[in-house]
Amino acid sequence: MRKGLFYGLLFTSPAILGFIIFTLGPMIASLVLSLTDYNVFKAQTAFVGIDNYTKLFSGEDELFYKSLGVTFYFVVLRVPAVIIVSFVIALLLNLNVKGRSIFRTIIYLPSIVPAVASAMIWMWLLNPDLGLINTILGWLHLPTGNWLYSEGSVIPSVVITTLWGIGGTVIIFLAGLSGIPKQYYESIDVDGGGWYSKLRHITIPMVTPTIFFNTIMTIIGSFQVFNEAYILTQGGPNNKSLFYVFYLWRTGFRDTEMGYASALAWVLFVIILIFTFFVFKTSKSWVHYEGGERA
Amino acid sequence: MSRQRKSLSVLLAFLIMLVTILSACSKSDSNAGNGSASSPAGTASGSSAPAGTASAAPTGEGLSNEPITLRMTVWGAPEEVAAYKVAIKKFEDKYPNITVKLQHIAADYDTKLTTMVAGNDVPDIAQMESASIAFPLAEQGKFYNLQDFLSSDTEINADRLVPNITYSLEPGNVIGLGPGPESFGLFYNEDIFKDAGLTPPPAKASEAWTWDEFIEVAKKLTIDNKGRNALDPAFDPKNIKQFGVNFPTWWGGYSNFIFSNGGDFISEDGKSFALNQPAAVDALQKIADLINVHHVAPSPVQAKNIPAPNIALQTKKVAMAIDGQWVSAGLAQSKFNFNVGVLPIMQKPMTTVVSGMFSMFKSTKHPKEAWELLKALMDPDSSIDLITAGTWMPSYRDWYTDPALLAKWTENLDSRPSGYKDAIVDVLLNDSHQTPTGYVKNFNKIMDIVNPALDKVWLGQQSAQEAMDAIAAKAQAQVKGRRDVKE
Repeated sequence: MRKGLFYGLLFTSPAILGFIIFTLGPMIASLVLSLTDYNVFKAQTAFVGIDNYTKLFSGEDELFYKSLGVTFYFVVLRVPAVIIVSFVIALLLNLNVKGRSIFRTIIYLPSIVPAVASAMIWMWLLNPDLGLINTILGWLHLPTGNWLYSEGSVIPSVVITTLWGIGGTVIIFLAGLSGIPKQYYESIDVDGGGWYSKLRHITIPMVTPTIFFNTIMTIIGSFQVFNEAYILTQGGPNNKSLFYVFYLWRTGFRDTEMGYASALAWVLFVIILIFTFFVFKTSKSWVHYEGGERA
Repeated sequence: MSRQRKSLSVLLAFLIMLVTILSACSKSDSNAGNGSASSPAGTASGSSAPAGTASAAPTGEGLSNEPITLRMTVWGAPEEVAAYKVAIKKFEDKYPNITVKLQHIAADYDTKLTTMVAGNDVPDIAQMESASIAFPLAEQGKFYNLQDFLSSDTEINADRLVPNITYSLEPGNVIGLGPGPESFGLFYNEDIFKDAGLTPPPAKASEAWTWDEFIEVAKKLTIDNKGRNALDPAFDPKNIKQFGVNFPTWWGGYSNFIFSNGGDFISEDGKSFALNQPAAVDALQKIADLINVHHVAPSPVQAKNIPAPNIALQTKKVAMAIDGQWVSAGLAQSKFNFNVGVLPIMQKPMTTVVSGMFSMFKSTKHPKEAWELLKALMDPDSSIDLITAGTWMPSYRDWYTDPALLAKWTENLDSRPSGYKDAIVDVLLNDSHQTPTGYVKNFNKIMDIVNPALDKVWLGQQSAQEAMDAIAAKAQAQVKGRRDVKE
């Protein structure tokens, strides 16, 4: 028993060490720092209690609420879009068509393109004057847009660019779909139901655990959006795409106010925690587990 | 169960100890690094701590013969790094006991340097940008006051440098010297002017176009896709094939005209926000009108389609481009008839001088040697390739005034067209202004408020007066004074 424990710890120690040194340690440090006025360049760091947090919530820092609003808007638009689009794509890829694996590869491919590269591609596609998207819209005599460069359309445009990389989510949906036993569908065939009945009564209930997982991961990922602001918009126009993490980065690394940035980080952590908790709570009523047991 | 828990806590305790030991090790290392030049406490004791410098009285002699390693960090394109390497090679040949470790940080320079400062692991000399973390670092006393070196050095002093390349935290406290000053000019494609039968922009400041003359020419050179120019009543501003002028809408671009119009970012006494004052508002509005009223310049959105200035001018997407003289290098490579004129004036000829700087960290163990290295980097002879290619200008005044030296970098070179001496060299010497990042305290925070408001002005959604008035109170709250005014 003792020996077992020893070897267990020995073999898991790289992971445990990694977690403690690179995750837990910095987290605790940042929590402590969020209670100070730590500025990298200042020699003296004073303990300021919850001053950073009061500054955040008192409305003194307008950009805090602004960036929070921008990020919420992004999450609200993006999460349903990602889930619905990737689910539909997964359904299509799950059909028994010729060249299925090629389609699957194509859908997944953008996910391995570096974020910076795909952001650059999108910058060109969405270019108001020369971009492919406006050009095609022009041919079809449809209204064109300023996409990333106008206050109203910048967030929806960013959402569109991020849909490009949903291959990972699709793969997880596919895994969920392929786990559904064939005989369920056969029983619907016997009862004379069509594709809609299959979707409504078998496919969707059976993949709710996958939907649940993907929703949580997408929410967490969406709250932490950064590359798009950093590369595509720099927060503009008029701060309309000032994403929370971008603002946090700017506070920490451009203004070097690490203490304050740590407070920002912890607020985001708590917000994500609350959202995740909320989704977990509601999951009881809509997530279906085959054995009837909840995890 | 309890036994397991015990082992686990022992393990955890062990790990924590390990971490502590590791971090203690690295800390003591870097403290040792700080030790000999100035004590860590001395480093920390605020900005005006000449004690450290006094003890290391900088003279050309008295350099150590011990083997020494100096570390420096730079950013920049490969050709700039190549120029630094030339300077370093010369320096190392002169001082065989000194090795220079050049660290090229191509991306996220400030983030990396911030991290290095946080880890107490800084270079001896660092290239810095006035608009970013140079002043925050200087305010914490991290840099040597280079004035002390300048005043006692026999080879180089403040008078030997061209104006506006010295960065000071406050009067008398020089924190950085710019190795390559840059000013703005009006670059243009000569063939476009020839074909249109128009007189090209004058090069001499005394003959500079007035703003109205500039607009007139720009209109004639703005052509829609049916070949009509902007003076034609049927002109279609939605389908412009060739813009009269490309106007960069970042602060470097419009600062030239705010200064030319007698305006400023903050008032002379440093007490109030000044972009909402008549002179500045007038300049901003006139620039916005180029885009939205006269349709001779691309909006910021359209400007995203305009390629780099050399390509834009060569392919006749734009006829003229207001830009920094650094574009000369690209223009020279593009092989077409380009030239440069003096910027149009609002009240008086004016150009803003921008430049990176070299700063010396107080934690260096070898301030005298670091100063010699800094001098070597400032020496135009070392960066001559970069200067003749068009990217840089020399930092020494005599390179502008001594005909022989001037000829070295302005004559018979693709990168230096006929208008260059008058439009760039003379204007830099006689009609230049320091970059606002060099003297406006808290510049970034002020601009965080100004930039979003200006977005609306460039897009024509608000007048400059409305936009600047709307944010004046918020911007005023961020005004912290001027660095060139003694408090």
